[in-house]
Amino acid sequence: MKMDRSKMGTVAEGGTRTGRAAGVKPGSYLPIQAEVVDIDVESSNTYLLSLRPMDEEDELVAVNYSPGQFLMVSVFGLGECPISIASSPTREPLQICVREAGRITQGIMAARVGDVLGIRGPFGNGFPVGSMRGKNVLIAGGGSGFATLRSLINYIADDREKFKEVTVVYGARTPQDLYFTSEYGSWQAAKIEVGITVDMMDASWKGNVGLVTSLLAEIDPSPGAAALCGPPMMIRAVAKDLLGRGFIEPEIYISLERHMKCGVGKCEHCTMGRYHVCTDGPIFSYDVVGDLI
Amino acid sequence: MTCASAFILRREDLVPLLEELAETLEVVAPVQVEGEAAFATWRGEALALDDKNPLTSPMEFFLPQKEVLFRYVQYSGRYTFSEDPPRARLIFGMRPCDLRALKVIDGIFGADLPDIPYAGRRRSTIIVALNCTTPGEGCFCRSMGSGPGAEGGYDILLTDLGRGYLVEPGSSAGVYILRAHHRHFEEADPGDIKEKERLLALAGDEIVTRGPSLNPEKIREAIDGVDWEEAGRRCLACGGCSLVCPVCHCFSVLDQGVPDGERLRCRDTCILSGFSRMTGGANPRAALGERLRHWYLDKFVYIPEKTGLFGCVGCGRCTRVCLGEVDRWSLFKEAAE
Amino acid sequence: MEKIATICVYCGCGCGLFLHVEDGRIVGASPSPAHPVSRGRLCVKGWLAADFVHHPDRLKTPLVRKGGRMVRGSWDEALSLTARRLKEIMEESGPDALAVLTSAKGTNEENYLLAKLARVALKTNNVDHVARLCHAPSVAGLGFALGSGAMTNPIRSLLSADAILVTGSNTTEQHPLIAAHILEAQSRGATLIVADPRRTQMAQLADIHLAPRLGTDVAWTNGILNLIIDMGLVDEDFIIERTEGFTALKDLVVQYTPAAVERITGIPPGDLKKAAVAFGEADRAAVVYAMGTTQHSCGTDNVLALANLVLATGNVGRDGTGIYPLRGHQNVQGACDMGALPSVYPGYQKVEDPAARERMEAAWGTDLPADPGLTAVEMMEAAEEGRLKGIYISGENPMISYPDRDQVMRALSSLEFLTVADIFPTETTALADVVLPVASFAEKDGTFTSTERRVQRVRRAVSPPGEARPEVEVAADLLRRLGVEADYASPEEVMAEISSVTPSYGGISYQRLGISGLSWPCPSRDHPGTEILHQGSFPIGRARFSAVEQQELAEDLDYPLLLTTGRSLFHFHTGTMTRRTHLLDRERPKAAVDINPADAAALGVRSGTMVVVESVRGGIEIEARLTEEVPMGTVYIPFHFAEAPANQLTARTLDPTSKIPCLKRTPVRIRRADS
Repeated sequence: MKMDRSKMGTVAEGGTRTGRAAGVKPGSYLPIQAEVVDIDVESSNTYLLSLRPMDEEDELVAVNYSPGQFLMVSVFGLGECPISIASSPTREPLQICVREAGRITQGIMAARVGDVLGIRGPFGNGFPVGSMRGKNVLIAGGGSGFATLRSLINYIADDREKFKEVTVVYGARTPQDLYFTSEYGSWQAAKIEVGITVDMMDASWKGNVGLVTSLLAEIDPSPGAAALCGPPMMIRAVAKDLLGRGFIEPEIYISLERHMKCGVGKCEHCTMGRYHVCTDGPIFSYDVVGDLI
Repeated sequence: MTCASAFILRREDLVPLLEELAETLEVVAPVQVEGEAAFATWRGEALALDDKNPLTSPMEFFLPQKEVLFRYVQYSGRYTFSEDPPRARLIFGMRPCDLRALKVIDGIFGADLPDIPYAGRRRSTIIVALNCTTPGEGCFCRSMGSGPGAEGGYDILLTDLGRGYLVEPGSSAGVYILRAHHRHFEEADPGDIKEKERLLALAGDEIVTRGPSLNPEKIREAIDGVDWEEAGRRCLACGGCSLVCPVCHCFSVLDQGVPDGERLRCRDTCILSGFSRMTGGANPRAALGERLRHWYLDKFVYIPEKTGLFGCVGCGRCTRVCLGEVDRWSLFKEAAE
Repeated sequence: MEKIATICVYCGCGCGLFLHVEDGRIVGASPSPAHPVSRGRLCVKGWLAADFVHHPDRLKTPLVRKGGRMVRGSWDEALSLTARRLKEIMEESGPDALAVLTSAKGTNEENYLLAKLARVALKTNNVDHVARLCHAPSVAGLGFALGSGAMTNPIRSLLSADAILVTGSNTTEQHPLIAAHILEAQSRGATLIVADPRRTQMAQLADIHLAPRLGTDVAWTNGILNLIIDMGLVDEDFIIERTEGFTALKDLVVQYTPAAVERITGIPPGDLKKAAVAFGEADRAAVVYAMGTTQHSCGTDNVLALANLVLATGNVGRDGTGIYPLRGHQNVQGACDMGALPSVYPGYQKVEDPAARERMEAAWGTDLPADPGLTAVEMMEAAEEGRLKGIYISGENPMISYPDRDQVMRALSSLEFLTVADIFPTETTALADVVLPVASFAEKDGTFTSTERRVQRVRRAVSPPGEARPEVEVAADLLRRLGVEADYASPEEVMAEISSVTPSYGGISYQRLGISGLSWPCPSRDHPGTEILHQGSFPIGRARFSAVEQQELAEDLDYPLLLTTGRSLFHFHTGTMTRRTHLLDRERPKAAVDINPADAAALGVRSGTMVVVESVRGGIEIEARLTEEVPMGTVYIPFHFAEAPANQLTARTLDPTSKIPCLKRTPVRIRRADS
C-alpha cells in the first residue's frame, strides 16, 4: 500500500474532538481492521505495535489524528480497550504502545506480525499543538504514560522551528522500564533537551536516580506550555513544581487515563465529575482538572 | 377524515386498531404478566392500560439490557462483520415520564456522535403515548415537569376520557397512521379537550398530595449535604436503581466467542465498583457512597448541563426496587432540613 | 419481546423474575412485582441471572472419552455407554459400588427421577447432593428438635418480628432478599442482633453485634439462654404444653455464665446481656442462620442450641417468630424433599422404616434396598478405597465445592466410570468418561422449592443450546435404558407422580402453582399449603430440648490462624455461572484472602501482596486483602475460585451426626509468597 505523503503531516490541529476520520462511521461500534506490520519490544511488559489499515478506504486513519488522541483497539473474542497513539501523524506507520495490564492488553501483545486487530478512532481531543506553537514546551512523563508524549515529541521534532525551547523529562521505575531509548539521540539532534531518571538503578545505569521533579530542578525549564502524562502522584508533583516556576494552570496539559467502553461519550465509564475523559479529554488543562486528580 | 387535530377512538375500536397495526409492525403494549403490567409484544391479549406504569420502562426497546452490536466471523485471519437491522415497532401506552426520558437520551445518544444502534431503533419506532391519569404511589413527575401530561415527543398521544380515548397526532407519521386507519376515529369536540385538561389537573393534584414533593433545584443543592457514607452503608449494591431508571444508560461492551462470535453491549451500573475501576486496580470512585453521590450528581447536575433537562423524570422506580431500603428521596429532605 | 415468569437460579430466596426474550434469546431480566419474595426487587445476581445462558462455553454435545481424549458422541452413544457401564459394575461389584449425586440446581422433577434412578434402577441408596455440605445439620438437628428440618416460617414473616437474631449468615451477600426483609423489619422497629466473627455488612448494620471466636456458637447460645432463664423471660406455658426435656437443659446452661461465655467466645458480658434482653423481651423473635452455623464439626449441636433458644422463648408457630435455616441453592430444599438423600425417600420417609419402604416398593413396583446409603463425603472416601466404582454426577462440581480437593481428585480419578451432566465444562467434567450437556434453568420446565418451602414454577424461556437436553428427559431416558418404565410426556407428569408418593406434596400440581406457588406441607388438592409450621402441634408431638455442650477446641501452634470460608455477593458457589457473567466477574475478578491489618502487619503483608496460605492439607497462593471485616487471628477466603481453591486447605473432619465437613474453621498459617 502506498500512501500519498500530501495527506500526511501537519493535519489535525489540537482540539479535533472526534473520530471523523475517513473509513470510520461516527458513532458506529464497527471497528476497521488493521494489520500488525511490526512489533518492537519496549520493555519486558511493553510492546510497540505498528499498524496498517487493511482497506484502502481506511488508510487515512493512519495519519489523520493528532498527538494525544487514542484508539479503541479490539482483539476479537477478548474485547476492546483504549490505547493511546504513540506515533506522530507526521510519520508512518501508525503505532500503539501496549503495556500488559489485563486480558485485552495481553491479547494485543499476543498478536504476531500479520495478525489483524480492530481499531476505532482516533478519539479524544489531543494536545492543543496549535496553541503550543511559538512557546517553550515542557514535556514530562512517568512510566507508561510516556507513550502518548512520544507522539507529541516526534510531532514537535518534525516541525521544530515553530516551537521555542523544548524540554523532555521522563522517569521510569528501572532502566529496563524506559521506553523509546533509541530515539533520545534523534530528539537531542532536533535540539530537544532530554532528561531521563529512574527510581531504582542497576549496575549498568550511569544516569539520574530520583523523581522527575529532581530533573526539573536541574534543568530549570523556562515557563511556557507543558504536557504531562503519568501516575497521579507524579502529575501532582510536577504540576506543583511547574506552577512554582511561573507556568500557568491553563497551559499545563494533562493526559488522563480512565476505564472506557465506547470512546464517544456514551457509556459513562470514564466520567470524572461532569467531564467525559473520552470526548472532553483525555487532555485537560490543570485549571480544569487540578482538583480532580 | 378532516384536518382536525384531535379525534376520539371508541374503547371498542382500540383492539381492532391495534390488530390492523400489528399486521405491519411489532406492537409493544403493557399486558398482564403474573399479576402486573409489563411491556411485551402484543398478541391480542387484554391490555393493562389502567394499571400503574410498568416497573420496567419501555426504554428497554431503545436501550436493551443486552444487544448484539455486531457479529464477527474470521476467515483466514480477516474478519467480516454483520449487524442486525432495527425492527419496525410501535410502542403503545408509553407514559409521559418515559417519553421525557427518551428526550433526555436523545440529548445524549442522539447528540454529538449519534449512537448508531440507538438512532436506528429510534427511527424505526412509532410511539403512541398515553397521558397519565392513573399515577402510581411513588410518582413525582409533576415536580420534575415531566408529567402527568405529555408535551411532544410522540407520534400519537392518547388520553383516556372514560367513554373513549382522545387521540392527538404529534408527528407526520402519527397523522399518516390516523389517516390510514381513519374509520376508527371520529372528530373530537372542544369539550373533549377540556375534559382531558380536567383529568390531567386531577392527576397532577393526586401526585402532589400522594407522592413525595420534591423540587429538583432543592435536590441539586442538597446533594452536597447528604451523608453519602451513611447512605452507602445500607446499599446492597444490587444496581436495581440504575437498571430500572429510564434515563440511566451506562453500558459495558464485551466479546463472546473465538474465532467467530459476537460483540455484545449490556446495561451497566455505576453503583458497581468495577464500573470505574481501571485494569491496574486504581478506582476513581472506590467507595459505595461516592458512587451513590455520582448517581445523583449525574441526574441533577451533569445531565441538565448537557441536555437542558433533568436526568430524573420522577417515575419513582428507583425507590420501588431499592433492596437496601434506602428511601432515596428522604435523603434529600433530611439534607435540606 | 416476551416476558416469561420464572424463578431465579441462585440462592434459596426463590425470587420471581421475568426473562425478556426476543428471537429466541434472553435479552434481559427484571423482578416480578407481584411475587411474594421479590416484590419488584432483585439482588445483583438476580438482575443478571440469565446472563450466562447464551455463553459460548456452554456444553452443546455429549462427550465420550475415547483413548484418553474426550470426543463428540451422540446422545444414544453417551447414554447407552452410561447404562451399560453402570449395569456392568452393578453385576460385578454389587449395587452399592454405584452412586448418584444429584443437583440442587436441578428441578424437583429432575431430582426425583435421579433419586429414583439410584434406588429403582441401580438398587442403591447411595444418593446425595450438596445439601450434605450445607444443611445436613439442620435436617438432623431441627428434625430431632421440631420434627422438620425446614424453615418454620415464610420469609415475609420476618417483617412482623420484634427481634431477629442472625448468626452464621452473611445475609446481605448470600440471601440479599431476606436481608432486605430483615432490614425492613429493623426500620419498622425490630432489634437486629448479629452474631458473626466477621464484621459483615449485616453486622455493621446490627443494633447488637456479637463477635464470637470461630467454633464457639454453642457457648454463646447457651449463655443467652441462661440469661433469659435467669431474667424469667422464658415462655413457661409453651415449655409445659408443647415441649420436653427442659429441665436437663436448664441444669446444663447454668454453667454458661456471662463470664464463662466471655472466656470461651470473647464476647463481652454486657453485649451478651443486651442480646439476651432484646431476644427474651421480644413478643415475636426469630432466629436466622446459615452455613456459619452448620459447617462445623459440631454443626448439629449448633443447630440444636439455636432450637433450644426459640423453643424456650415460645417463638415457634406464630407469625414473626420461628427458626430460619437459609438454604443456599434455589432448589436445595426441593432436592432434599425429593429424597435425594441416602436415608430418606421423597417427603423424608425413612428408608429404614419398613412401612415407608413397603409403600415406596408398591408405588415404584420393585424391591428397594433397606440400608441407608453413603453420604457425599463418604462417597469420596469409598471411591478412593475402591468400594465405589461408578458415579453419575448431575451438575455438581465436587472438585471445587468439597473439602480436601486432593482427596476428591484421587477419588474421582480412581473410579471405573464417571458420568457428569452439566451446563458448562468444570474441573469435574474434566475427569468424566461421559459428559452430558443439559439445559439451564432458563431452558426447562419444572419446579423449584425455595428456602421457605415454597414450590414454584420454573418455565422454559428459550431452547437449550446445540443438542443439550433438560435433565428430566435424560434421567427418564436412562431409567428406560436400565429397564424401568419412565414414559413421562412432560415434567408435569413427573410432578403428578411426585405428589402421589410424597405426602407433603400431595396437593401440588402445576395448575395450582400461581404467582405465589404453594408451601408444603400441602397434603391434598384442596389444601391451601402451609406457610407457618408447628402452629398447633409438632409432627413429633412435643418438641425436644437438647442439652448440648460446647466442644473443646483444639489449637495448633504450627497453624496459629483460623481460616473460615464462604461466598461473595457477586459469585455463586464454584463460579461456573457467575464467573461467566460479565458484570459479576468484573466486580470480583480474583480470589483474595481477607486478613486483619494487625495480623498483616505482623506478617509483613500489604493489600495486594501474594501470600501462601497453608493448612495440614495443603497450600494455596493467593492475594492478600487487608480489612477490619475479619477479627485478629481469623482469615477469610471465598471458595469460588478454581485458581485459588479454598477447599485445598479444608479438612474432612465430619460432624458425627450429620456428616457435614467442617468448612468454617481450619487452622492455617500464612507467609509471603516471596519469602
